[in-house]
Amino acid sequence: MTKLQTLLGVSALAFAASTPAFAETVTLAAYSGIFQDHYVKAVVEPFMKAHPNIKVEFYGMPNSAQMLGTLRAQKTAPQIDVVIMDVSVSKAGTDEGLFDKIDESVSKNVADLYPAARAEGVNGVAVTFDNLVLLYNKDQVKAAPTSWNALWDKQYAGKVAIPAVPDIQGTTLTIITNKMAGGDDYKKSVEAGIKKLGELAPNVQTWDPKPDVYAPISNGQASLGIGWNARAQVYANSSGGKLGVVLPQEGSGFQINTINLVKNAPSSSAAKTFIDYALKPETQAAFTEAMFYAPTNSKAKISDAALARTAAGAMDKMIAIDWIAVAGIRDGITEQWRRRIIPLSR
Amino acid sequence: MSAVATAHPAPAMPRLALGRTGTAVALLLPIALINAIGFVLPVLNLLRMSFNEALAGGGVREAFILSNWTGLFGDSFYLELIVNSVSVSLGITFLTLVVSYPIALYLHRSSGRWRTFLTVLVISPLLTSAVVRTYGWIALLADQGPIVSAIAALGITPPRLMFNTTGVVIGLTEILMPYMILSLLAGFGRLDPRVEEAAMTLGAPPAKTFWRVILPLTLPGIALGCLLCFVLAVSSFITPKLLGGGRVFLLATEIYDQAIVTLNWPLAATLSILVLVIFGAALAVYARVLRVIE
Repeated sequence: MTKLQTLLGVSALAFAASTPAFAETVTLAAYSGIFQDHYVKAVVEPFMKAHPNIKVEFYGMPNSAQMLGTLRAQKTAPQIDVVIMDVSVSKAGTDEGLFDKIDESVSKNVADLYPAARAEGVNGVAVTFDNLVLLYNKDQVKAAPTSWNALWDKQYAGKVAIPAVPDIQGTTLTIITNKMAGGDDYKKSVEAGIKKLGELAPNVQTWDPKPDVYAPISNGQASLGIGWNARAQVYANSSGGKLGVVLPQEGSGFQINTINLVKNAPSSSAAKTFIDYALKPETQAAFTEAMFYAPTNSKAKISDAALARTAAGAMDKMIAIDWIAVAGIRDGITEQWRRRIIPLSR
Repeated sequence: MSAVATAHPAPAMPRLALGRTGTAVALLLPIALINAIGFVLPVLNLLRMSFNEALAGGGVREAFILSNWTGLFGDSFYLELIVNSVSVSLGITFLTLVVSYPIALYLHRSSGRWRTFLTVLVISPLLTSAVVRTYGWIALLADQGPIVSAIAALGITPPRLMFNTTGVVIGLTEILMPYMILSLLAGFGRLDPRVEEAAMTLGAPPAKTFWRVILPLTLPGIALGCLLCFVLAVSSFITPKLLGGGRVFLLATEIYDQAIVTLNWPLAATLSILVLVIFGAALAVYARVLRVIE
């Protein structure tokens, strides 16, 4: 045996010995920030422990639009295997042929998902449910509000923070307000809601709270606002008792994040294993306990303490928002906000 | 030059000229290439995107339609947006000029270490990112902030200084000041103190000296600074986004919303091309002004 052969043999052995540890890498694109912190701890790390031959790279991006942009750019040679994004963006991606269909053949857990987790024309399935909540600063609002109507209270003029449309928090508020004002089906008209929001406008301090809506309310720059439950619950924990979160008596609407399988992705089979894991009742329960997103798997067993901090206890009051239909009327709603709501707050 | 020409008689000249053209091409090639790849191609791509069809929900369909362009000019919202962007940017440019001019003039007249120190002071804000400086303004202009409290202490009902156009104008003016001051200084080359002294000696009062002598001599610097600040004001979006409170609709913030939030890339592309046209117009005005000054 020549020296070269020995060398080759040894390095081949070393290579063979080192690779099985991470045979495949799944690249998961999802929200950066606190979502990433909690998802890595509650889902990604336990997954890698259970599947030592698969490595998951979490690629954090600030929003769904940026994920879609990246997927578009990589369409011919995808680098990302799995994406967690908002359902309406997932619909756009499906329309552009970026995703493979996720059904029972990909994961048996799909059969146990709530009906709302599977939308017509969307190849991904829901992995988290979130809902709009009323936020308040506990120093400035002494008694916890129970109704969305607190936002209209003249006492808080100039102290209300509302992320306006095109942000979907504004869209969700439009649909809730429309129902409160006695409006009919939001898919036909949100006229009643737009009128009532026009009366809210003079109270509004900012329509574009930065860096997000939770910070100005926690630090007292604003007294009241609207935001997403899961993030609000996490920030309520870390705000030192300043940020209050309420699911108002009139109910609320859901926001849906879907998990999607990228078409022609480099590690499709490992990606399917991960998606199956993400939809399992145990995983769903773990993430709900960690970040208070409501589970999408009907078999997930959640502790009462965590359940009380999601919308799961108030399902009868929730408005079923058909985000695919809303995508079709979104431009019209945006136009109404810009012409008839925001100008009233100048 | 003439000494060189006589030392190396005629035969050397054509070779030299040819060599110069060759050198010029060789020197220009890299930047031309970088510009073609990094600017011209993406702009052409944007132009193509502006004719695609936006689907409800953010999808893009390859097409060749004019509706993005016709929709823009048929919609009063977008016309207002264009007028608003241009007028707010012009206002910011003028304000920046007014507050920067005295500083630049003082800097131009100072000398030695003092001048170096002052120049460093003027440039130092550029070392901090615009985001950080804008957050600084948020702290200063907030409802419970020092400026509003000071106005209230005088017994006047304080106006809203933030989350409206006022806030955007204040923030952007401060952020653009270093660019204006540096451009003014660069254009002050023709301002000779002896000319001012001559005017004063001949009996011109200070105000007249300023209007008739100093200002005309500094016009090139003013034109350059105004062009630079206008272009930066039209294209800046972080400061309007943070200080506008969602009430101030400008082209740059609208492009961001359409590209990142609504996912209407064709409309975002159309608006981007429109901004480019506005820049072209600003450059044309600048060239015209320069010709008039000369």
